[in-house]
Amino acid sequence: MTFFACENLTMRFGGLTAVSEFNLSLNEGEIVGLIGPNGAGKTTVFNMIAGYYRPSEGKIIFKKRRLDGMKANRINKLGVARTFQNIRLFSELSVVENVLIAHHGHLKSSFIEAVLRTPRYRKEEDGIREHALNLLKEVGLAESADDQSGSLPYGKQRRLEIARALATRPKLLLLDEPAAGMNPSETMELLELLLRLRKEYGLTLFVIEHDMKFIMRICERMKVLDYGITIAEGTPSEIQKDPRVIEAYLGEV
Amino acid sequence: MSAKLDTYRNAAAVRNRLLTYVSLALLAIFLYIADAFGTEYEIRILINCAIFIALAVSYNLINGVTGQFSLAPNAFAAVGAYTSALLTMSPLEKQLSFIIEPVIWPLSVIHTPFLVSLIIAGLVTAFMGFLMGFPVFRVRGDYLAIVTLGFGEVVRVIANNTQSITNGPLGLKGIANHTDIAWSWGFAVFTVFFVVRLVRSSYGLALKAIRYDESAAEAVGIDAFWHKMFAFILSAFFGGIGGGLLAHLITTISPNLFTFFLTFNLLIIIVLGGLGSTTGAVIAAVAVTIGSELLRFFEEPMNIGGIHIPGIPGMRMVIFSFLLVILMIYARRGLMGTDEFSWQRAIDFLRRYKKGNPE
Repeated sequence: MTFFACENLTMRFGGLTAVSEFNLSLNEGEIVGLIGPNGAGKTTVFNMIAGYYRPSEGKIIFKKRRLDGMKANRINKLGVARTFQNIRLFSELSVVENVLIAHHGHLKSSFIEAVLRTPRYRKEEDGIREHALNLLKEVGLAESADDQSGSLPYGKQRRLEIARALATRPKLLLLDEPAAGMNPSETMELLELLLRLRKEYGLTLFVIEHDMKFIMRICERMKVLDYGITIAEGTPSEIQKDPRVIEAYLGEV
Repeated sequence: MSAKLDTYRNAAAVRNRLLTYVSLALLAIFLYIADAFGTEYEIRILINCAIFIALAVSYNLINGVTGQFSLAPNAFAAVGAYTSALLTMSPLEKQLSFIIEPVIWPLSVIHTPFLVSLIIAGLVTAFMGFLMGFPVFRVRGDYLAIVTLGFGEVVRVIANNTQSITNGPLGLKGIANHTDIAWSWGFAVFTVFFVVRLVRSSYGLALKAIRYDESAAEAVGIDAFWHKMFAFILSAFFGGIGGGLLAHLITTISPNLFTFFLTFNLLIIIVLGGLGSTTGAVIAAVAVTIGSELLRFFEEPMNIGGIHIPGIPGMRMVIFSFLLVILMIYARRGLMGTDEFSWQRAIDFLRRYKKGNPE
């Protein structure tokens, strides 16, 4: 059974074809990268998978279910979480609140129970709090739990976004440029963190990244997009040698 | 260490709960005394305060907490007022009131006690909020404001033209004067309790998430559409009951009672209090209700330095607007911003103040 697949995924905005006939198949536990020059359509692929765009054509299949056309929150609930290229935390709220919010989709108590603070609700809330604090510990943000999330340094905000995504209990995690704006040592920490999280939570990762050192090290396979068309795919070492990729990045030599 | 911290927290929680009970008891005593010794005018202002607290707090739930700029509270109040009034009026009263066209069948015989009427008014309004929500939450921001504004007008026009249900422009007269201090403040306290508890819960966090970034909220599994609906419906429920209480205070209602002006007043209150702050909504509701009465002073004829100024009706609104402009210049986020009152904060503040070192 395929874990996750995109078949002939196409996205058109008016006359512009942002992504055309994108195919992808992921096995459970894999880390696959998606690279390409700016404007190649990488984030558009993410937006289709996560339910922000309805694909013009093609199918998205996750554990035998069709995701294309589904609402973003439903896709998340089925086990596909994402982070954003331009960090989108609830920056006015505290660090721990950001993670608590992400548990709400799985909350069982009704609002009446929440207002009455019934034992069942309180137990659920305690469980959520504990889980949230554990996740913060996991990504190294336990000390900042009560800080305002918008005031965190950039690298920590990125990690908080990952913790928030994990709180929704995903099986597939889509990371949109997780290393953007990080210095080399932060990037290496992130690499270790992601490998550890994958093991611990049995995650499958699909990663967009411009940092070549990072993506070449973390991915087992990768795909290269240029002008919405898949121009290459293979292992990092194959991609590095591929003349079409070199051309896309450096122009014709 | 952590056990110690836990006992400390529990002690603080018990203390806070006690403080809440004590202040509620003090409020009850104050209201009881006011009810017994206050003039009719003063009692009326107190009742108005309570109704506006409830209306503002529930309006703030959708506008402030959830960040959806609705302009529909006058529609909710109108529906609640008409529903409850038609239920508490006796069949005979209705027969005498509806002189142009008789009232239609089920309404002509139904007659329910005040409490039941209020609850039904809340439920009917909530159901209307549910129906309205589908078109309303297809759009965002300014468009949402315009659509809800439109619904406010639609309700008024319908009330004017359904002679056999609302008695049209004649309105309903002789509604029993049920709304007293106990009803109005009971409802206000219930509304505040409900909304505060809700906002502090996981549901409240979800609503705030939608306010801050709807797409991000959906990315973490929050159903933005249904949560907006949820806040809107709750707001409608409380708004409907508030309207019912207003109807049984004023005793005469007509479609023109629930114009945009009511929404405008509530909007001023929640902006003044700080969008998203329940505490702010409560304080501002009391301040605006009492303040606009105090400002009546400026409408009386007066003598300044031998110059006689005749009373100018409406003068208080000019001064009121002026005060608002000043407030919005110096406190743009309202009195409270998005902060809430808590005993811990109040105590911390007093401690610092005592040390002669505020801030």
